[in-house]
Amino acid sequence: MSEQVTPGLRDFLLSFADDEHFIGQQHTEWIGVAPFLEEDLALASIGQDELGHAAMLYELVLDLDRGPDSDSEATDIEIDRLAYRRTDGEYRSCAFTEYPTTDWAEALVRHWIYDTFEAMRWDLVASSSYQPLANAAVRAGREETFHLRHADALIDTLSTNAEAISRLRTAVDVFLPMVGGLAGVTENEDDLVAAGVISAKSSSLHEPLRAAIAERFGIDHTDLGPTDSKPESELRRDSGRSEHFAPMISRMREVFDLDPTAIW
Amino acid sequence: MSRTWKDLSTFEAFLDDGGIVEVDDDMPDEYRNAVFTFIEMHANSEYMGGLTERDWIPKTPGLRHKMSVLAKTQDEIGHGHLLYMVAADMGIKTRTEMLEDLMAGKSRFHNVFHYKAETWGDQVAIAFLVDAAALASQQAVFKNCSYGPYRRILKRIISEEGFHMRLGEDRMMRIAQGTDTQKEIFQGALDRWFWPALQLFGPDSKPNDVLLKWHIKSERNEVLRDKWVQKFVPMLQSYGFTVPAPDLSYDEETKKWDVGPIDWEPLKKTLAQGGPDSARRIETAKNAWDESAWARDVLDGSKANA
Repeated sequence: MSEQVTPGLRDFLLSFADDEHFIGQQHTEWIGVAPFLEEDLALASIGQDELGHAAMLYELVLDLDRGPDSDSEATDIEIDRLAYRRTDGEYRSCAFTEYPTTDWAEALVRHWIYDTFEAMRWDLVASSSYQPLANAAVRAGREETFHLRHADALIDTLSTNAEAISRLRTAVDVFLPMVGGLAGVTENEDDLVAAGVISAKSSSLHEPLRAAIAERFGIDHTDLGPTDSKPESELRRDSGRSEHFAPMISRMREVFDLDPTAIW
Repeated sequence: MSRTWKDLSTFEAFLDDGGIVEVDDDMPDEYRNAVFTFIEMHANSEYMGGLTERDWIPKTPGLRHKMSVLAKTQDEIGHGHLLYMVAADMGIKTRTEMLEDLMAGKSRFHNVFHYKAETWGDQVAIAFLVDAAALASQQAVFKNCSYGPYRRILKRIISEEGFHMRLGEDRMMRIAQGTDTQKEIFQGALDRWFWPALQLFGPDSKPNDVLLKWHIKSERNEVLRDKWVQKFVPMLQSYGFTVPAPDLSYDEETKKWDVGPIDWEPLKKTLAQGGPDSARRIETAKNAWDESAWARDVLDGSKANA
């Protein structure tokens, strides 16, 4: 791994890991209050998978930090320090995964959009020249198929009912302005593409994602709103956190904050 | 094939001989109602257990730790799901009716799930003390349960509950070896949860308890409670915690711990749905249930049409 590529790779991995971490976190908020017991079970299961992907990606970041000569493995304590204890500016998540849902239509629509995007994102790195990342894509890809199948089956059935279609559509409108940021670029992605670490920049997923949303929810493409209404510079992952980040992270840190030296 | 019994005493003789009742048997109504109520309460308790944990799952300290907690909650809700199916098969109420009765405050669940988990320490105390008490009760039912479908589901539930208790024990040990703040937090939780956990076994069994007579329970409440006391009092002390029982004593002759008189008033209050956190928790579940009725209507309708 050349010295130019490493900082870009670290930033890319962090944005992926932070999204996985926060989407897993969002799923945990629904346990016990989903519309039916089977859905509570599904969300608990999918939440575990997403948090597992986050841990795997944070481990890749820690391996980069340690350098190629180290053969020790990241501990849970190191993973948690990276996952929970950075300053706000060091996170690379986006508004889409930071947004809290209290409406199940929103939770379901976000679940579908996120997993669709996630599958595209793993495809970007499936043939990565950075072998640990290509290996991670193989592991995660198997689970993603099930996640998407789960969301699709629910949406298929709900789409037979006018009220449900209208609720899903309202939820899609909540998230559409955030998908540009979901496909926001991290530092030096051009270098990563040149080095074969990723097959294309994250922003290349924006249009395909919008097209997939339009098709899934039966929306005319012209009704999706303007494409790239913001310049790429504003959709960067290092351009700041949304208003929902601070309350979310403080809830996640609440127990850690009782005693920063404690191991639970 | 459905079996019938000419009267209650013939049925009871069948049970005393170790007979196992199956769902399509023509069991006496008294037995059907008693077993149904018992399983419904167990199902409600598993579900309410999930709701008790939900307050703390998002705050679990640690990424992999949170995955374990999610796996545990998935098990608990899964148990509720299985038990509701076993109960619904008895033909008294559907699963939806049971859930709606629960949310209307018309049906019961275990006393412990009426209390609030105030701190992360409570979450650990529940996983350790309450899960252990629930496991002991379930094992005693499994041992000799005359209702076949319940007994078969309990086998699976018990094996998973064993993992939960070990998860709780492992986390309690980390706290015991941890910082003063951690120990203080857990002691506070122990002060709140020791008695409710002990009361999960219920007051002494009555001489005419039909659940014992019909071989649903195999052990009297006071016997199970005493076994739990003999195990957990010395264990908690050995980890450096104080058992919150002012009259706690040890009898050198019998080598047994005695926690002193038990105040059953808090338990009675929870039976009347008057536990300190019941209303809030039920309201959360009910609001969520009402708000997602639109989705259930469409999804259930499609199942009904399928």
